Amino acid sequence: MRALLFLIRKNLKNIIKSAFKKPLVLIGYIFALVFVIGMIVAAFTMPSGLVRTSSPELFKGIMMLVFAFLYYTSLKLGIEKGSSFFRMADVNMVFTSPLRPNKILVYGIIKQLAGTLLLVVLALFQIPNLKNNFAFEPHGVTVLLLSVAAYTLAYPLISMIIYSWTSAKKERKKLMKRILDMAAIIVALIFLLDLSQTRNFTQSLGNVFGSPVAHYFPIIGWTGSIASSAVSDFNTSFYVGATGMLIVITGLSLLLYKMKLDYYEDVLAATEYAEAAIKAKREGRNMTFNLRTRKNIRNGFSGVGAKALFAKNMLEIRKSSMFLLFDRISVSVILSAIMFKLVMPSEIASSPMIMILAFSSYMLLLIQSQGRWAVEVEKPFIFLVPASTYEKLFYASLSDHLKNLFDGIVLFTLSGILFGADAPTILMSALSYVCFGAVFMYSDVLARRLFGRVHSKGLMIFVKIIMSIVLIVPGIIAAVIAGIATESELLTIGALGAWAFVLAITLFIFSGGIFKNVEAAS
Amino acid sequence: MLKVKNLSKRFDKVQAVDGVSFEVKPGEIAVLLGPNGAGKSTTIKSIAGLLRFEGQILINNIGNKEVEAKRAFGYIPESPAFYENLSVWEHLEFIARAYSLKDWQDTANRLLARFDMDDKKEKLGKELSKGMQQKLSICCALLINPRMIMFDEPMMGLDPKAIKELKSIFIELKKSGCAVLISTHIIDSIDEVWDKVLIMNKGRIVLIRTRNELDKKGESLEKVFFEATDSKGEGKE
Repeated sequence: MRALLFLIRKNLKNIIKSAFKKPLVLIGYIFALVFVIGMIVAAFTMPSGLVRTSSPELFKGIMMLVFAFLYYTSLKLGIEKGSSFFRMADVNMVFTSPLRPNKILVYGIIKQLAGTLLLVVLALFQIPNLKNNFAFEPHGVTVLLLSVAAYTLAYPLISMIIYSWTSAKKERKKLMKRILDMAAIIVALIFLLDLSQTRNFTQSLGNVFGSPVAHYFPIIGWTGSIASSAVSDFNTSFYVGATGMLIVITGLSLLLYKMKLDYYEDVLAATEYAEAAIKAKREGRNMTFNLRTRKNIRNGFSGVGAKALFAKNMLEIRKSSMFLLFDRISVSVILSAIMFKLVMPSEIASSPMIMILAFSSYMLLLIQSQGRWAVEVEKPFIFLVPASTYEKLFYASLSDHLKNLFDGIVLFTLSGILFGADAPTILMSALSYVCFGAVFMYSDVLARRLFGRVHSKGLMIFVKIIMSIVLIVPGIIAAVIAGIATESELLTIGALGAWAFVLAITLFIFSGGIFKNVEAAS
Repeated sequence: MLKVKNLSKRFDKVQAVDGVSFEVKPGEIAVLLGPNGAGKSTTIKSIAGLLRFEGQILINNIGNKEVEAKRAFGYIPESPAFYENLSVWEHLEFIARAYSLKDWQDTANRLLARFDMDDKKEKLGKELSKGMQQKLSICCALLINPRMIMFDEPMMGLDPKAIKELKSIFIELKKSGCAVLISTHIIDSIDEVWDKVLIMNKGRIVLIRTRNELDKKGESLEKVFFEATDSKGEGKE
């Protein structure tokens, strides 16, 4: 164990040492630290329930839903890939060393604790929002963070036990997946049944997920119960939840420690996957997991020169979509439209299409910042195609515009039906959505042209997002003026869309010459 | 020494390795060859103790997953991975601690000097080039003074001097009585050093030959490789 503790100690020491060598990084760390301390202070000291005081039942429902979703997704991924506390360096150097697997597992759990801290910090960011909407008890913030910590410690242990059991036989894997899916479907059905009676989303959320059955349900319910006591006194469900989770975490840890362990194979695939995800993140793109490729899609190549880029992109989109251009993003835009209908506060209900456009464009900004274009310039082909820069740029991005148009039409037609908007507003919203997509994409191109291939992808994404937001500000001002002057939702959206269109064309023109400056991945 | 008896490994529907048996004796350099998808990586990962398998793998007559077997076993993976925030020297120190080595510093210094890494001791894992990573990986495996060592594509990313150094290390390991197993695609790279060739195809060992047997017949390693892995994948014993 001393060798493993040496690893942890040296790692920590060197991270701190290397920060001191780079003043900019050090400033970044200090800034982040001050920010986190500020968040902690704000989370604990800010008054609660000032903006509105929603019912504690709703809070409990939300917490239970969040943890149910987190456990469901992480356990399902756990069955598929196992769960790993480890990196490839551990596989190559620690797994092959004469150290007992049980000790190595403890080392992994210690490392996971560091990861837990990160999730706790992320949870901190949500606390002010929650405190604005719910009346927190003085102990509220502490128990909320406690529940997050309980989840992060419990799920890898459960994943590992389940994976060890399921990896031996394919049937077990199928069975486990089926059990999880059935459970999810049953919960969804119960919720929909309740919703059909109450016709009130928030009330049903409280009814179903805030019920005693949900609170005492092992693990998911226990974790949710810890979080739920943020808005109530310490009651029986809190004590049951906290004790239950303590027993689960220590029990499973002990079980794994005592077992004659042979888990290296189980974590190998997960570690390779995690390593690839880390690499992808560094390169500024997302890992797409479990994405099925439709192999029967053929014959996508028409056109020569730069047009081949467009054909290739369309072929890729069609292969990864469910039908036509309908894919996971399309599903998420449909769900967001429905969510908007269900939870949109009454104060902004007068101009729903603008709010949906704003929200969906913001989501598009986040998705597109790591999108197809970013992947394209990581590969050499676009640099090599013998065509002019403008042609290559146009055809390489055309497929994304078409995809955005498709999603835009799906999203705004559905929203239009749900909120009773007219056809011109629907069309204008969809076109504006496409123009915003173009702005985000070409501002990325321009950022790359100006700064070249920045090694810190995180910094690059940050710069690009800030740049996009700054560029859109005049459009927002124009839209506000148009809105006040005409009181027409169509013209407000039109003003915003027109600015986005002009901006996209301008950015496209200025982006020319990108391939003379940007470098391919080494 | 290494003994692999009836090793089989299945991933879902794919039988990656099917009843593989071979032996690498002390002071012997065995080369594992095979086309892509032949099952070499699975065999190597099984020997390294990273996979569950059917059959038996013995290192110095002890099951390969036992602590005492691991103590005698050095491994150079195909893709070296290091702790980003640990220096070259700290990696070696970790190995020394994990394997309970004593008075290891001189050996470590000597190894680093052989691979022109003696001025890179303070470099962090994340600052190492591919070639340097490979060199460090070799140094870590050699530091433990293994009785059995396994190299997976060891020449990858090495400069000519390091390749030359590594070849002389192969010979030194052989002379010291260490069992050496090298897996590679580049037949030329090991042509001067091998004693026994194990050719895999479609999850099976399709040919085992010693250098003497080949020399007697006047055949080249490349020729027997292509013959053993012909389009039908049916080798000759």
